[in-house]
Amino acid sequence: MNDMTKIERALEMNDMKISAKNVQVYYGDTHAIKDVSVEIEDKTVTAFIGPSGCGKSTFLRCLNRMNDTIDICRVEGDILLDGEDIYDKRVDPVQLRAKVGMVFQKPNPFPKSIYDNIAYGPRIHGLARNKAELDEIVEKSLRRGAIWDEVKDRLHAPGTGLSGGQQQRLCIARAVATEPEVLLMDEPCSALDPIATAQVEELIDELRQSYSVVIVTHSMQQAARVSQKTAFFHLGNLVEYDDTTKIFTNPEDPRTESYITGRIG
Amino acid sequence: MSDASLQSGPEMGTPRAKSSILQLDQRTKKRNAAEARFRAYGIAAIAVGLVFLVVLITSIFFKGVGAFQQTFITLDVELLESKLDKTGERDIEKIKKVTTFGYNPLIENALKAAMEEAGVDNPFAKGKDLRKMLSSGAAADLRRFVIANPDRIGDTVQFRLLASSRVDGYLKDRVTRESLARDKNLTPVHLDVVDQLKGAGVVAKSFNLGFITGADASESRPEQAGIGVSMLGSLYMMLVVLACALPIGVAASIYLEEFAPQNWITDLIEVNISNLAAVPSIVFGILGLAVFIQFAHLPQSAPLVGGLVLTLMTLPTIIISTRASLKSVPPSIREAALGVGASKMQTVFHHVLPLAMPGILTGTIIGLAQALGETAPLLLIGMVGYIASNYPGGIIEGFMSPNSAMPAQIYEWAKRADPAYYERAWGGIIILLVFLMTMNIIAIILRRRFERRW
Repeated sequence: MNDMTKIERALEMNDMKISAKNVQVYYGDTHAIKDVSVEIEDKTVTAFIGPSGCGKSTFLRCLNRMNDTIDICRVEGDILLDGEDIYDKRVDPVQLRAKVGMVFQKPNPFPKSIYDNIAYGPRIHGLARNKAELDEIVEKSLRRGAIWDEVKDRLHAPGTGLSGGQQQRLCIARAVATEPEVLLMDEPCSALDPIATAQVEELIDELRQSYSVVIVTHSMQQAARVSQKTAFFHLGNLVEYDDTTKIFTNPEDPRTESYITGRIG
Repeated sequence: MSDASLQSGPEMGTPRAKSSILQLDQRTKKRNAAEARFRAYGIAAIAVGLVFLVVLITSIFFKGVGAFQQTFITLDVELLESKLDKTGERDIEKIKKVTTFGYNPLIENALKAAMEEAGVDNPFAKGKDLRKMLSSGAAADLRRFVIANPDRIGDTVQFRLLASSRVDGYLKDRVTRESLARDKNLTPVHLDVVDQLKGAGVVAKSFNLGFITGADASESRPEQAGIGVSMLGSLYMMLVVLACALPIGVAASIYLEEFAPQNWITDLIEVNISNLAAVPSIVFGILGLAVFIQFAHLPQSAPLVGGLVLTLMTLPTIIISTRASLKSVPPSIREAALGVGASKMQTVFHHVLPLAMPGILTGTIIGLAQALGETAPLLLIGMVGYIASNYPGGIIEGFMSPNSAMPAQIYEWAKRADPAYYERAWGGIIILLVFLMTMNIIAIILRRRFERRW
């Protein structure tokens, strides 16, 4: 990391997007997330790392209330988006999810055309008044997803017919199309080959210009490459949360060090 | 851990002896033999099943195909004005007063004329005996024609009249001179006449459209009986089943599968739906009798009631198959939709339901096919044994007026004493099977069509 990015980061320091305080998550009797507090900054890529089953995906899914769909899951504590509690009774999770988009581990395009995949979100949120506007949104989103050039000639071909990497970028474009403020990514590259992974990582770096990106990853190299902040989870605890450079060069907690050097996990 | 297992390796069993892979050892031979035996069992099981199927289909075909052929006697009947319209006023009310008995002499004359033309001697003193070769419904056919076309009175019109079931049976080798010895409906002398008329082309077999479109007839006129009206009864019932069972079943399964919380109440409902699918259908029949007829006072024997009873019976099938197909939609699709901010209902209706559609349709059509072939519940609401002799007047009457259903009609025919009805029962089964096969083909086509949308 050069000095320029450090200065950039310092400037954005105060711009908090999501702040979670004392979050507890239970699956039935299992205490999956234990007292986690994290401040996620705007226009930053934040990476969650940690061994399998440590709760990083669970915590990510709390940020747009995806866990609501699991009956036995219970969330306690405060998660504020721009100072507003997302678990407030008045919050409709549907409205929240339009603001906090999500990209999943396995590329999951709808079994519809590429165009309809992108247009679905804007359509249900009423973002376009007419066909021309919708076309524009679709093009813009596909360009942001860095996939426009590959699919512009076959917008009406099925989205499921694309390759894995293209499908994942299509899913990112779909998430971007609803103009979210935060983009959550749950291991977006685990099903992709190295070339597609590189493309998606490049894309994540570009998306940082406009969004706050939170990414869960198993690859420490990936976390080091794309993120500015890194949080290390272990057994449901947030062990350490700091600048990525610090975590990977000079971690404070011995558990973090063991993990990034490959001794636990 | 790995060190320990390495050490204990040799102690756990005798080390494998050196052997060539070109030779089968004892264990491999045994395993291969077991596999070969299992394959043989499987092939034998399928072969037995196929033999039964072939025997079933061929026997149904050969026993039932006769019902699609019927013997007709073609006669030129002179519609005598002196018999039908004595006044000559062509007053329809007066013409209607002439009963079928009034037409009998015309038929006798026509038969005599036809025999004369064919050079056949008339061995009968009475015209009544001669007329036994014809169906007792023939005079009614004639009367219906005259009432519809009063201006043809006085003309000579050619009619294809139904032969009696004995004559029909003789042409189909069901009736022989020996069997007629104990039969008071026809004598071997009649058969001699029939033989000669057949040579002259007056008596001949042809395709029996009346069997497919016609109404059921009384026990003494099997040659007139058709399955058409009960087919219509079945159709009305299926409409009721489709209109009730599909929306209720799909709505129930969507709610249970996508919206309902997981607790003991939904568990209980789930178990009970599975149990209902295994409840004998006659139980639904007695429930329908108690609820729809005795409590709600809906008309007896009506396709509406039959349809409601069959709806109850079909619902579990539809719910189970719909839930299974909803379950088979990958959860990633639901997450994707929720992730872009779709509501639960939008997720279900825009993404999950279209993907589950082929399964839902297949389940529904299989449920309908099951309902179409069901007889037992109809026993209790009076649709079995009802003689479906008239077409319903209109759509509402079609639902509300008494009718029968195809399987009930087949059962009714199989029960009747006259052997001529036996053939009709088999013919009815052929028609029922054609319907079931058509429905299954529709299910396959629908599934293919919806699946082709990626």
